[in-house]
Amino acid sequence: MKSHKKKLRNMVIVIIASIIAYLFLIPLLYMIFTSFKSLSESISSSELLPNLWTLENYFSIFADTTTSPIIRWLLNTAIVTGVGTLLVVIVDSLAAYALARLQLPGKRKILLIIVWVMTIPGIVTVFPSFYLFKNLNMINTFIPLVVPYTANAMGVYLIYNFLIDFPKSLEEAAMVDGASLFRIYREIVIPCIKPVILTLAFITFLSIYNDYLWPSLVVSINQMKTMTVGIASLVLGSNFVNPGLMMASTVFAVLPALILFLLLNKYIVREDIHVGIK
Amino acid sequence: MKKEKRFSILFFMPFMVCFILFWLIPFVYGCYMSVNKVSLTKGNVGFVGLSNYLALFNEASMYASEFIEALKNTVLFVIISVPLLVITAFILALIIDNLPDKLKGFFRTIYFMSYAVSVTAVSAIFLWLFNGNGGFINNIIAKPISWLESQPYAWIVLAIVTLWWTVGYNMILFINGLNSIDGALYEAASVDGANFLTRLRYITLPGLKNVMTYVTLMSIISSFNLYGQSSLITKGGPSQSTRSLIMVIYDTILQKNNLGVGSAMSIVMGIIVMAFALCQQYLAKEKKDLMEVNGSEKP
Repeated sequence: MKSHKKKLRNMVIVIIASIIAYLFLIPLLYMIFTSFKSLSESISSSELLPNLWTLENYFSIFADTTTSPIIRWLLNTAIVTGVGTLLVVIVDSLAAYALARLQLPGKRKILLIIVWVMTIPGIVTVFPSFYLFKNLNMINTFIPLVVPYTANAMGVYLIYNFLIDFPKSLEEAAMVDGASLFRIYREIVIPCIKPVILTLAFITFLSIYNDYLWPSLVVSINQMKTMTVGIASLVLGSNFVNPGLMMASTVFAVLPALILFLLLNKYIVREDIHVGIK
Repeated sequence: MKKEKRFSILFFMPFMVCFILFWLIPFVYGCYMSVNKVSLTKGNVGFVGLSNYLALFNEASMYASEFIEALKNTVLFVIISVPLLVITAFILALIIDNLPDKLKGFFRTIYFMSYAVSVTAVSAIFLWLFNGNGGFINNIIAKPISWLESQPYAWIVLAIVTLWWTVGYNMILFINGLNSIDGALYEAASVDGANFLTRLRYITLPGLKNVMTYVTLMSIISSFNLYGQSSLITKGGPSQSTRSLIMVIYDTILQKNNLGVGSAMSIVMGIIVMAFALCQQYLAKEKKDLMEVNGSEKP
């Protein structure tokens, strides 16, 4: 009797969850299916699935490399997000290790500053940074697209919090054996804190990949745009009148991040994402 | 130990250099520009004291009306979106929590997936879902609505977009919070015959207090930063009603070529966001204290 009731309850919840899941998927399904529709069908259709499947939108975005150099945008995005994420993880984990484990002078004051800086909204530094890079003639180079992300106090704090809760017996044993600090960091600390490193890498990757305001300020030529900025210029440009064409280019903006997301999301779903709750 | 000290400085150095170059210097420079007359083309023309700040609140200035209007719009968006983002995320987390274990991962991934889509792609998709002419929604419903050109529909669209895009992240935080509540509490409650609502009121909600505060805080901050959705989907319209603070700052600096006033706007916006965040934190703490007092009075 009781298990019967439980089964019914489970079924109701699964049905509700499925309906919500469908609602969540509609925009993505709309994007994918519309990219295979012809112009006339895409603006008049009231169904998700195309009547007539066509690849014409994909052919025309690849043909028109002046308005939509998709390959170049993807390449730029790969460089910016790859190098940016790597830099952030290295710089932040080194700093967190020094703060949590080593005799860094002024440790407490530094931590206090880090916590304070995290509460100051990012908008305060965006436009002055842009002006400084502009005066240094670095607009339309990779430098402003990548390096500013390294000033990431949140990342240091995230790894620091994880490290102080983590037993240091392994490191001490290695220290007794006479291993150098850099070796301990690389061969013991990093593997031990892999989950939090992956979490930070994942959050950083997504925030660089999806950043719009900053790259739109420091890039003005089409060839240097990231995917996110490129899509914005298409939305504001002439391609926009054709939803099929627009969705075909959007597919390229969404898929790389989505695939990485599906591969990595199991790592982010854990306790260590609780940054700042303590 | 002296060697360790040297090493620790070496380890900390890269972050310190990056932090000084890309945070501290821009921060200080932004404050400096806000008290000077600066333009993108002419550079710094001279010290003007607080007049850039006063221009934001002096009705005779052309910047004041825009700034105040945008502040009102942005606060309205915060008021519309934050409760939606917090409550929906909480409900989704409860649904996930009550699903059979095998299905949890699947649904969690689907609800969280849209978080990986960039704001510009989100805007491209929703523009064509809600476009007045040839948009998917209007092709389905019998009587077309001009979603993007009239209120309150423009706000409804922006709220839906933001909800779809970011609610998954809040949900994940709630799921983590739910997982960290001691299971023994629920067992004890079910032995006592407590129903779903009683468990929610006396175990789940108190257990999620910290997460709730954090999620609300983060949602307030990110809603204040409204930019991509409103600049691409509604383009600030209809008649400037969805023009957000960041949009006005952007125009002041890049279109009106006034870095001084733009910097002052950024700093005022920063202070307002911090004030909201501190208020919220204070209120959450106050409520907690009250609840504890009430609790202890009961026999």
